[in-house]
Amino acid sequence: MSLWVDKHRPRDLMKLDFHKDQAIRLKNLVQQSDFPHLLVYGPSGAGKKTRIMCLLRELYGSGVERLRQETMNFTTPSNKKIEIMTVSSNYHIEVNPTDVGIHDRVVIMDLVKNIAQTHQIDSSGQREFKVVILNEVDDLTKDAQHALRRTMEKYVATCRLILIANSISRVIPAIKSRCLTIRVPAPTESEIASVLHIVCKKEGLSLPSDLAIRIAKCADRNLRRALLMCEACKVQQYPFTADQKVSEPDWQLFIRDTASMILSEQSPKKLGDVRQKLYELIIHGVPPDMIFAGLLKELVLNCDMSMKSKIASYAAKYEHRMRLGNKPIFHLEAFVAKFMAIYKKSLEECIGDMF
Amino acid sequence: MSDFPDPDEEYELMYADELELLREAEHSDTAIGLPRRPAQAKRSLDFTSPEPKSSVESSTQQTNIPCSQNSLSTIPEVNKNVPNQETNDVVFTSNVPFTTNECYEVTSIQTNKRTADDLFGDINDIDFNEIELPSKKQKTEEEEDLDLINRIIEGRKLRQLLAEPTNRLQSEIKTSYDFKENVSLNIPRWAFVPLTNSDGERIYIRLESEDTWEKALEATSEQSSLHSNYIGTWEEARKILETKQQELIQEVESQDVQIVDTNNNDTALWVDKYRPQSYLDLLSEEPVNRALLHWLHLWDKIVFKKEVKVKEPQQKTQFSKRAGQFQLTNKWRGKKEVEPEVDEDGRPHHKVALLCGPPGVGKTTLAHLLARLAGYRPVELNASDERSTEAFRNALQCATLMRSVLDAEKRPNCLILDEIDGAPLPTVELLVKWCTATVETGKKKAKSQPLKRPVIAICNDLYATSLRPLRPVSLIVQVGGVSLPRLASRLSIVSQCEGLCLPPHVASALAARAHGDVRAAIQVLSFIKARARAQLNMEDVENVAIGTKDCNKTLMQALQSIFTINDKDPEYAMKTVQAAGEYDRLADGIFENYLTARVDARLLIACETMSWLRLYDMINSWTLKNQNYSLYGALPLCITRCHRVLSSRTPQRIKFPSQAMEMYRKKLELESIVVSVWRGSAPSVALSRNALQLDLLPLIPYLLSPSLRSANVQLCSENERKSVRTCAGAMCDYGLQYIQQRTPEGLYAFVLEPDVYKIAFYGTEERVRPPPAVRQAIAREQQLEVIRRNEEMAMKSSGQTASKVAKAIDLKSAKKSEVKETHIPNHLQRLKPKEIEKKVPQVHKDFFGRVVPIQQVKKSDAVADVISSSNVFYQYREGFNNAVRRNVRTRDLL
Repeated sequence: MSLWVDKHRPRDLMKLDFHKDQAIRLKNLVQQSDFPHLLVYGPSGAGKKTRIMCLLRELYGSGVERLRQETMNFTTPSNKKIEIMTVSSNYHIEVNPTDVGIHDRVVIMDLVKNIAQTHQIDSSGQREFKVVILNEVDDLTKDAQHALRRTMEKYVATCRLILIANSISRVIPAIKSRCLTIRVPAPTESEIASVLHIVCKKEGLSLPSDLAIRIAKCADRNLRRALLMCEACKVQQYPFTADQKVSEPDWQLFIRDTASMILSEQSPKKLGDVRQKLYELIIHGVPPDMIFAGLLKELVLNCDMSMKSKIASYAAKYEHRMRLGNKPIFHLEAFVAKFMAIYKKSLEECIGDMF
Repeated sequence: MSDFPDPDEEYELMYADELELLREAEHSDTAIGLPRRPAQAKRSLDFTSPEPKSSVESSTQQTNIPCSQNSLSTIPEVNKNVPNQETNDVVFTSNVPFTTNECYEVTSIQTNKRTADDLFGDINDIDFNEIELPSKKQKTEEEEDLDLINRIIEGRKLRQLLAEPTNRLQSEIKTSYDFKENVSLNIPRWAFVPLTNSDGERIYIRLESEDTWEKALEATSEQSSLHSNYIGTWEEARKILETKQQELIQEVESQDVQIVDTNNNDTALWVDKYRPQSYLDLLSEEPVNRALLHWLHLWDKIVFKKEVKVKEPQQKTQFSKRAGQFQLTNKWRGKKEVEPEVDEDGRPHHKVALLCGPPGVGKTTLAHLLARLAGYRPVELNASDERSTEAFRNALQCATLMRSVLDAEKRPNCLILDEIDGAPLPTVELLVKWCTATVETGKKKAKSQPLKRPVIAICNDLYATSLRPLRPVSLIVQVGGVSLPRLASRLSIVSQCEGLCLPPHVASALAARAHGDVRAAIQVLSFIKARARAQLNMEDVENVAIGTKDCNKTLMQALQSIFTINDKDPEYAMKTVQAAGEYDRLADGIFENYLTARVDARLLIACETMSWLRLYDMINSWTLKNQNYSLYGALPLCITRCHRVLSSRTPQRIKFPSQAMEMYRKKLELESIVVSVWRGSAPSVALSRNALQLDLLPLIPYLLSPSLRSANVQLCSENERKSVRTCAGAMCDYGLQYIQQRTPEGLYAFVLEPDVYKIAFYGTEERVRPPPAVRQAIAREQQLEVIRRNEEMAMKSSGQTASKVAKAIDLKSAKKSEVKETHIPNHLQRLKPKEIEKKVPQVHKDFFGRVVPIQQVKKSDAVADVISSSNVFYQYREGFNNAVRRNVRTRDLL
């Protein structure tokens, strides 16, 4: 654990850097020695996982930090073999069921039941229950979410679930009502800057506050990204200067580039070029909804108010459709084409008004 | 006969067997065939062919043939040269409608009730002098071939003509000639029919061969773009035709009542009933028939011990020099040129003939008929028989090595393997092995004898995987769909025989509907007949729900139809899309091609198209997700809506949709990199895949490129060394590694594995790659780091075991000293300082248990310890020197 992100990750609930009142509440919750199922949600890089690990440490002691990686095998009803990677300790197991795509229901059913049905051998030493952490619950299929419902109630004596999601809008209400939902908001820019200062102090470096704020701004309120960027800055140039170049993830630059390309010219030919860029983004694994968001953010900068709302509503509509379909490139290109059409029309009207 | 046969005889020598076969076929049907020459009759006595008496019969028959037929048989000779002359006559002019109409009147009225004899009675009047007979010396090989083919075609047509004179009449009405060219008041120099018109004048109307009117028909059908202009005229013509037809029906009905009655009792399927009985009946293309027949004849040497004429190489070169038109007319011979036709055993080069083509075009019929024609007894093995290797071997042995005892004619077998594309692969392999066995191996082992009988395999799909071994060793004969006019004429023949009145346009509509499938066409005809009506109308055909051939369209055809406007049939795009299927690929195809389809400055077309494609995507994924196909029918609609938006008249080049697939492949490649990092990373730093992909991997290349002043780590400052260590640590955490790889230049380079640069950057990855020296330094440091970590692990585990032992001891002691304290759960246990026990001085006791005072003990000890109390002390330890011994651990060296 040599990267700053990993090295300086807080291990104790009391040592968390932000949302401290929430941390205290969590501590109180655990000290009652029992707690309900949890649904922790918040944007990426807000510290959901860190909090959960702190919580588990509070529950079980330092034993939870002895992690091991295992792959588990399942067989679907259609006799397809699937394998999934789990990270587990003696007290908990962490799974990302969406790794197996549409077969996540099998994972939920088999794995959770397996764990829930086995009691701790020596219950005197520990709590009576184990903890199952499920990642990316919002991407679970509806089937899998329904499979979860009954399991949660049935095995409540032996097993607690901690569900992690980015947003609970796609979690079915039945599950929401069975869990204690904990929202972990993204840290503000000033909070990120203060964390950066703390980390640099631990490393024995001096960080100019201007640079800290710049990094925080670039990081999009994502602490993990901010720390990585800060360390990248350190590797590239130390001692720090306030106007140092902050290297961002290349895909962000690429999206910006694509947006400026869209704004530069509106023609079918350009649309073809944009398509290649969109394909590039998709094959690099940038989720299409993030492409949508990134493009929208850049594109509306050049629009007046009425167009802004129009384009935003189109983006929302197309993004929703995209989630219903399975060819994101169609929807992305449709959005770009629509934007181009609207933008061109408004440009032409502007020129018409001038004369 | 002189020593040198004249060209004519030479020709006969070459094709004697084929000619004879044709003759044979004619006998069986008592049909009118080709002219025969006495010279051949002599020759045929030498033959050991199944019907040695045929020539004699033919000569006797010849005398019986009526005069008119005899004269008819000369027509092919005439027609050979006619086409050149007549093409001029068939000029299609725009004022045709009027002339044709008149023509209809004249010809139809006056030729209405003619029988064949009437029609051709005057044919002797044809002035042969004008027509230049081909000088025999000019006859080259290809001309001879052409002759033969022409003669066969002509013979076939004449047979039809004779059988159905009325049919010919109806068809002839359709043709349109220039009025002045074809009608004359004087006795013309061309073939004619004398008529008397209403004024009492004698006029002469040109007599045309079928060949030309067929061409004319084709010419009219080809000019489809002009078609719309003449619709009105066509309609008019059709009406006239139909009224004529009505009259005709009444006539026919009164005549043919008896025939219809007798036919009603017949239960045989029409397909079987009208199966071709002779070579001339075959509907498949002439080159195809000939290719197969030729191949069958190549077996003659080994089967019938008869010499086979093989073309000499000299002739081949001549032929190749004069390629041109001839090659087009029969390709099979052009193909043959490359390899010898017969191998050293006298067997054909290809041991198996593989007939392939769509269903219903008559492959099986062709194989059976030709096998019988060539003197074999066809033995069929099809999908309904068992085709395991064992059963197949049996069948092969039976068919190729044995001969039927019961068969009176004692014909050799010819194995026909029908539907071989459904046979399992081992079976096909066995067949191939069987076929390729040569004589040499046959002598050694009695088991594997060389194949001595022809084997014909029939398949629909030439490229079926199971046929892969068979393809290289076999003669592949493609049987295409039957051409429309021929199918139409065959249909009208059938209907004629059944006493059904089938107007020619209806026949051609039926034929068009069948798409070259003879079987389907005849089935539909019999189905329509079952409605018990003597006459068929256009509506009957159009309204029939069944019988539309399930036609496959390729993806590209469908795409083409989407991007072009079709005036004739607005529904064409829809139909093709539905026929093509593969909607997903089609949607991709539209997506890849729509930007160039039309001028679209405001991108409105693009928006519209994309909206349909989006809808398509949604419906499609909904269908797949819910496995509910109720909306599946809407998918082609979405695609054809795009046709409405995108179609244009300008031809355009359409790309095959490959981008989506390529992107998918690239995505998988990059995903595999992410997955390998994800799997390789240590559990303590495990991230979700998304976070890894979006946050960590894009930034990690920056972290892995520390700037060092010098490549030698020993010379670096403390800070630099630290940064290299951090790098190494990070690489260990995330399972990255520098691997030495040999570059094409022969140098060794350190390459990061897995290559996260590909994920992180969009074509600019070289920017932050550290220089080779730094890479080397990091690689070395990483190896050290790995060792360090292993050490740590070992330490931990050993520490763990030590603590476990201690715990165990603790437990024991706890048991001894009674379990007082209740068990504290692990998580509440806190570390406590170890209790220090006071040492109680040891008490010495003597043998009887009495306590010995300490002084005494010390004293007694002192006595023993003489040496240690002395000033000089030597101690020898042999074997090793303790002086420099020191524990050194690996971590101290790192």
